[in-house]
Amino acid sequence: MLNRREAVSRIAMMVGGSLSAPTLFAMQAKEAGKKQMADAFTLSPTQRQIVAAVAEHIIPKTDTAGAIEAGVPAFIELMLTDCYHKPEHMSFKKGLADLEKAKFLSQNQDGQVAVLTLLEANTKELMKGYQQSKMKVGDNLDKEATAVNVGVPFWRLMKELTLLGYYTSEKGIAGSFIYEPIPGKFEAIKIKPGQKSYQY
Amino acid sequence: MNLNIDAIKSQTFDAIVVGSGISGGWAAKELTEKGLKVAVLERGREIKHIEGYETALKNPWDFVHRGRPDNIAAEEYWAGMRTGYTANEEHRYLFENDKQNPYIEKKGGFDWLRAYHTGGKSLLWGRQSYRWNKSDFEANAKEGIGTDWPIRYEDLAPWYAYVEKFAGISGQAEGLDVLPDSDFLPAMSLTAPEIHFKNEMNKKLGRPVTVGRVAHLTKPGPQHTAVGRGSCQYRNKCMRGCPYGGYFSSLSATLPAAMRTNRLTMIHNAIVSEIIYDEASQKAKGVRVIDQNTLAVKEYYAKIIFVNAGAIGSTSILMNSKSNRYQNGLGNDSDQLGRNIMDHHLGVGASATVEGFEDDYMFGSRPNGLYIPRYRNWGKDKRAYTRGFGYQGGASREGWGRGVGADGFGANFKESLSHPGRWTVNFGGFGEILPDPNNRFVLSQTAKDKWGLPVLEFETSFGQNELKMREDMMNDAAEMLEAAGFKNINAYNKSDTHIGLGIHEMGTARMGTSVKNSIVNKHNQIHDVKNVFMTDGAAMASASCVNPSLTYMAMTARAAEFAVSELKKKNL
Repeated sequence: MLNRREAVSRIAMMVGGSLSAPTLFAMQAKEAGKKQMADAFTLSPTQRQIVAAVAEHIIPKTDTAGAIEAGVPAFIELMLTDCYHKPEHMSFKKGLADLEKAKFLSQNQDGQVAVLTLLEANTKELMKGYQQSKMKVGDNLDKEATAVNVGVPFWRLMKELTLLGYYTSEKGIAGSFIYEPIPGKFEAIKIKPGQKSYQY
Repeated sequence: MNLNIDAIKSQTFDAIVVGSGISGGWAAKELTEKGLKVAVLERGREIKHIEGYETALKNPWDFVHRGRPDNIAAEEYWAGMRTGYTANEEHRYLFENDKQNPYIEKKGGFDWLRAYHTGGKSLLWGRQSYRWNKSDFEANAKEGIGTDWPIRYEDLAPWYAYVEKFAGISGQAEGLDVLPDSDFLPAMSLTAPEIHFKNEMNKKLGRPVTVGRVAHLTKPGPQHTAVGRGSCQYRNKCMRGCPYGGYFSSLSATLPAAMRTNRLTMIHNAIVSEIIYDEASQKAKGVRVIDQNTLAVKEYYAKIIFVNAGAIGSTSILMNSKSNRYQNGLGNDSDQLGRNIMDHHLGVGASATVEGFEDDYMFGSRPNGLYIPRYRNWGKDKRAYTRGFGYQGGASREGWGRGVGADGFGANFKESLSHPGRWTVNFGGFGEILPDPNNRFVLSQTAKDKWGLPVLEFETSFGQNELKMREDMMNDAAEMLEAAGFKNINAYNKSDTHIGLGIHEMGTARMGTSVKNSIVNKHNQIHDVKNVFMTDGAAMASASCVNPSLTYMAMTARAAEFAVSELKKKNL
């Protein structure tokens, strides 16, 4: 049986994708809300601006679409709501709070890049801690109190979801790859100079 | 009174096939083509070939979560989540919701992945198709493990050839005793590092490597196009259902073949709760079904019953079929019913990166890889465990996903991810699991499902033989990748896997030499209930290390011919 979420996706396909991605996501998020997702997750307008700015830094607009144009910020919020639990909600919001504290949005481009470069370097250490804490959870630790550290670090979430959202989006695929949904054959080939990846 | 007779007439067929999956589809094809009027009872909903594959032609961006399972799905498809792929957005609609179809794990874990709809798991299978070898049928007797097979390779060989021709198996003939060749369609090609690997293995370790043997049409023949099948399109989105009929399934192949005889009746939403045993004739007279939607109970009658509901499903029907003669389940004089659950153990192998080959690439997405046939405990090789394993894997170039763990962001980073990355290689082992009577399931005494049928309780765990074998499976994989000159070798042996993860469950109503040690005889007949045939994974007395579906196909075709000849002789 077709559920409403699938129905929405289908309608979007039938009308030739004229619903914008954010609209589509909003409709789907509303549906998800009805089903009472166990862990509610919402972002404030400022937090949304930070997510969009960081996503656009990861995948900026060049001669092809950037993260914002490809609908990535709304996708990240949808994914965190639908596919992640409290530990990631907390680590993600902690990352946003840190950037807010660092007045990320009021910095110029170079300043923002510097902040994110540092964040990426720090995340390497955090990832080690993340792996360790994952192993420890379940002993005598208070899960609630350590959830910030237990969740996947903010930068890693941002990067993973930005890349996923972008490179599976219509604009991201059109701009980055040679899209061949029906290749019709399989063969070993020699690469051409500047060869883009095939996407199937 | 007349009405009643008419009703019974409309519910009476020459043969009933329970289940429309890979073996049920074959039973339907063979029995109808031999002139029998056949009813296929499918417990799930109807899915139509092509139009029923609702996600088949979707683009990546058409999936709300871009394929990932959301939290609700993860909770509902809790067994599916263990596989890491079956609960994904693209093909979840073809798997069962585990929360709505509960089962109980009493000791250890058991992964039970189900597909209740037309075609069953034939829509979802890995399509890897290998003949068993001679030793696979002899090892139980030689080693005193389980029970001897009452058949040998030679009994099945002509039937392998028969089903291969119709199913269409792509592969390369190698002339190996360990992996008998099939009647092949042209082989799929290899990537450059795969050719390098194959040559190095042959040269350095004397181990043959071959392209995977798959039930894909690389060059359709008239027998394939006649049922509407076309060439594989190399999309590698098989598990969504293939609108081209590029791979073999009940929907693409056997059911259309059965349908064109005009002797097939497909009945959906019909959960067979039990087989009705007739004490006087010592035969089954029919089956009782529950409509999965209305809960209405109905009976169907036939001279022959093929039980093809999957190893666990078929066996649970027998368990639930209780009579004065069989109080412990139909045909269960041996107490082997539900025991000896086997599968192939996996989640063990090694991956690596490949240096060089920068100017090599591939076009198309191959739904297949390389196969390394078993070499352990073969010939002069002797290990601290018995039986063996094969590997499946291959080499491909990294995509955008490599960016997730890599440093960098911004315009250059973005640009770089639009090009192919390094070559990487991975091989995962498929190991033989021995039959162990303690690996079993029973009907719950208390828990019932929403149709009032007993929930199943599983008790399964790996034995020492499997655990010892896994060490070799991991170390050998690393050794081979090293021998091929590959770098950054990562050997793995996941300790949290269960029996069932391979979705090759089998052995629960095994074939054997006597009613004392098994459920079915060498013709797949229940020993003393001769008109009931079990030809799915349930009938397996051992597991081999190769994928089992081709053997189920061959066994089903063989049993169908026997059943019809017995019927003509009035023995059934």
